[in-house]
Amino acid sequence: MKLRKVIALGLALVMCISMFGCGGAKKGGDAEMSATEKIIKEAEGLTLEELAKKAIEESNGKTFYGVGNSSRGKSALPLFIAYLQTIDPNYNMEFEWQQPKNNKIFDQLTADSLKETGTFAMTLIQDGNQIQSKMVNTGILDTFIPKDWADANKTTADAVKGFLPLQTLNKIFEYNNTGSKTYTNCWDFVAEGEHGLFMDIDSEIVGKNFLYMLTKEENATMLKDAFDKLPADKKSYFQPVIDSLAKDATDLGLGANGKYALAWIKLWVESYNAQTDDGPICNTLVTDSATDQFGLLVYSKLRSVEESDSVSKNNITVAAYQDGYEGMGGYGYCHYLFVTDNSPLPWTACAFIAYMTCTADGFSAWGKDIGGYSSNPTVAAANEEKFHHQTGGNNEDGTVAFPCRNDRGFEWWTSQGKLVLEDPEYCSSVAFTVGSWIEMLTKYKGE
Amino acid sequence: MTAQTGTKASKSLITKNKIKTFFSKPYNVILLLMGIVLTVSTVAPIVAIVQDTFKIHPGTIDAHLTGQSSGYTLINYVDLFTSKLAKTNLWEPLLNTVYLAVGTCIVSIIFGGCFAFLITRTNLAFKKYLSSIFIFPYIMPQWTLAVVWQNLFNSNAVTGTSNGLLAALFGIEMPIWWCKGLFPSLMVLGFHYAPFAYILIGGIFKNMDANLEEAATILDTPKSKIMFRITLPMVKPAILSTILLVFGSSMGSYPVPHYLNLTTLSTKYVSMNSKYTGEASIVAIIMMFFGGAIMLLNQLSLHSRKNYTTVTGKSGQISKINLGKVGKYVIAVILAIVTFFTSVFPIVSFAFETFLPNPGDYSFLYTGNTSNLTTKWWITSENITDNGMYGQKGILYNNTIWHAYGGTLLVSVCCALLAGTIGTLIGYAVSKNRRSKWAGYVNSVAFLPYLMPSIAVGVAFFILFSSGTLNLFNTYTLLIIVGTIKYIPFASRSALNSMLQLSGEIEEAAIIQDIPWIKRMVRIIIPIQKSSIISGYLLPFMTCLRELSLFMLLCVQGFILSTTLDYFDEMGLYAFSSGINLILIITILVCNTIVNKLTGASLDEGIGG
Repeated sequence: MKLRKVIALGLALVMCISMFGCGGAKKGGDAEMSATEKIIKEAEGLTLEELAKKAIEESNGKTFYGVGNSSRGKSALPLFIAYLQTIDPNYNMEFEWQQPKNNKIFDQLTADSLKETGTFAMTLIQDGNQIQSKMVNTGILDTFIPKDWADANKTTADAVKGFLPLQTLNKIFEYNNTGSKTYTNCWDFVAEGEHGLFMDIDSEIVGKNFLYMLTKEENATMLKDAFDKLPADKKSYFQPVIDSLAKDATDLGLGANGKYALAWIKLWVESYNAQTDDGPICNTLVTDSATDQFGLLVYSKLRSVEESDSVSKNNITVAAYQDGYEGMGGYGYCHYLFVTDNSPLPWTACAFIAYMTCTADGFSAWGKDIGGYSSNPTVAAANEEKFHHQTGGNNEDGTVAFPCRNDRGFEWWTSQGKLVLEDPEYCSSVAFTVGSWIEMLTKYKGE
Repeated sequence: MTAQTGTKASKSLITKNKIKTFFSKPYNVILLLMGIVLTVSTVAPIVAIVQDTFKIHPGTIDAHLTGQSSGYTLINYVDLFTSKLAKTNLWEPLLNTVYLAVGTCIVSIIFGGCFAFLITRTNLAFKKYLSSIFIFPYIMPQWTLAVVWQNLFNSNAVTGTSNGLLAALFGIEMPIWWCKGLFPSLMVLGFHYAPFAYILIGGIFKNMDANLEEAATILDTPKSKIMFRITLPMVKPAILSTILLVFGSSMGSYPVPHYLNLTTLSTKYVSMNSKYTGEASIVAIIMMFFGGAIMLLNQLSLHSRKNYTTVTGKSGQISKINLGKVGKYVIAVILAIVTFFTSVFPIVSFAFETFLPNPGDYSFLYTGNTSNLTTKWWITSENITDNGMYGQKGILYNNTIWHAYGGTLLVSVCCALLAGTIGTLIGYAVSKNRRSKWAGYVNSVAFLPYLMPSIAVGVAFFILFSSGTLNLFNTYTLLIIVGTIKYIPFASRSALNSMLQLSGEIEEAAIIQDIPWIKRMVRIIIPIQKSSIISGYLLPFMTCLRELSLFMLLCVQGFILSTTLDYFDEMGLYAFSSGINLILIITILVCNTIVNKLTGASLDEGIGG
């Protein structure tokens, strides 16, 4: 039991460190603070219950507007209202949760920021790169760090330098195992003739951020290490590509192993088979007929696959779960929470953010899925206790029915699974160097 | 001095009287008001989007290249046209767009035109069935045919996905050019817009004076010569009208090329918008430029139409080609098979899709095992347990779908009422004042938004209404405004054509009796031309129900049914999107039947005016 607690604590610490890696820089000095930032400053010293009381005062009988990349905010809000009603049974609040398509959330928030008092109280948003350059640098969104969250992560609001992540989601390499082909090294996914199923990087920008992140020296080194473990025949295919990109890597100001990253990116962009969403990718991979196909997709999609005569979760192998697999198992990106700088209900926004990040109920709208990990170690542990994702593919007697459904958890993914985590600041810094280089590559359009 | 004052006074009196006389005619008031309103509603968004091309947007390429986070610059133009990415971001998509638009015109005219010829000019069997079923692809959202195309032709070996029906059941693997890119895109859009050609060309075939052809036959002219020298020239205006309508529409189509992996200006706009915001606005302007060019072509075609008189009243009978006792059935069966795949199969596949255990899981077809079917997509009433529903409730209990359905009905009804009424008034006023330049201007400016690609119109209105003072994003008001402006031409063209058929004497008789204008309209003019006028209301309604390209940038998913449908399609949750498709098709058919029963008007009258 004690050992489990020690492990849990250790995992929590690793998670905190990794989560902070997802963040960028917090905003400026006290003198330039907006009204919302002043409220946030005060709110960061309050517990969830104290915040809840402020929210009740502020928003009783009003309408709360939120906007987010995830539709689950809509499920979390009624739970939040129910929580506030446990403090004041007479409390009530109407709400509306919007989920814009494509990249429109940034346009929507920018347009809303032009008003003196905005429509949206808060947002749940992904793509650290654009958040940094379009939302945070411009002062449209403000980061609020709940006290309870900071306590759980053994830090303080002032010490947190990044954004506040609700959760990290992972996109992982999965392949259809009905044939004889195996993928035991991340370079196998860009080998000759391979065409992985992947959401187009222009449709979902976090995919582009993943490619940017590969050029960060630590990830480029990971790619080099994986390359070094390839057999000679495979190396000989990749080596000329790697060598040809050495100059580009230098020109782009990348580190010593930058050419490995550029080679992988080039081969990937020129080979992946673009799909509209991760849903169709998962639908494809689980069928009998998708022999030897593979994809890079969100892990959570496996949760809803129903067994039938030609579809099975057992048709899937998670690449990183194989013994001896080398290199990255996928990438991770965060859902961040922000208060809008012209928020009409800043206290309620702070309380809602605290509720989602500091309680298992608040996180439950997302927590029921595999592949999504709360940034709060206490909540993450409670969530695992509730949903048993690590044994989600097992039968009731404990035997493994669907190995791919046993989510090994955030700590495993970020250590052994070598998940490439998004760093907004780094992405933002290379968006017009590495980014423009990527755009010059010719995307795969079919044979 | 007194004489001078008298002259001035009489001049001012004359002017006053002129103004009074001018305003005493309701059609002048309509033209003036509509001219002003439509000028503002067309020009303001264009100005907004042009301004956006010069603006510096934080976090985008213009800010990076100028080193500034606000202000104005020419850098977006310089970068788009001259950078290393010009080929990728501009020229290739532009070329693809033109190919797509031209290809779609060809497919729709050949398919729709031949169909119209066979239906109207031959003794083909099963005409009624074939005629009504042919309209179906236009009723359905255009990208659903693209999804059906994928489900039919994709294969593991060629597209690198799971096998579609053809590969799974018969082992047929179609080549990649058939499955992805330009060819399937233009085929799908061609099928979607073929009803345009069918109705426009069919209308002329149906009412065509047979005297010319009969005279040629008497003179022993070969049939091919009659076809190329007499018949086709007579339908040329309808072909031109089809080109005008289809070219702009297919150019602005986003979902079809998006689903079938073709990079066009529309798809490029969406992909560039995050990092190349200003340059994306230039792309939208280029699309609008094509709209303007089509407008000029339209003017030319209007002039050319004067050369062809198709309805003379001198010949009441149209000579019909005899296909032979067997031929009329053989050709009918071939058409029935073709329309089965374009019209019936998609609906059957939508219905079937809602009973599959997983999206695209056709296990039942391979095994015949009924346990591979489910009703969960319809009747699941909760989204708490892990029941293979991707966190959604079943269609019957899904608030998102029904809320979006309500929103769609609201927008469609309002757009239909507004566009129908405004369009009818414009049609009436223009017909009454046909020689006036202002009337010509109003007629053209009302038609312009229709010729502009939908996505570009959406972009322009998004920019216009996203300011600090006027922020209408994600409101039904915005959708209704944009939908109304976009669909006025449906009603104005339909009304103009029908009003021109109406003799002025009818209204003059009522004027002599001193009957007020409103009464003249409601009691005389509208009842006489109710069929065309109701078509002017029905078409905006129907088009609005499944419009995506126009609205996708103006609201969030779940706001209206088309954005919800697209969301589910993109997510690969085909059971939901198929269910929504069925709801849309049933709604349109029910509305059409009700209107048909009440008024005698129906959808296949008046498409494109």
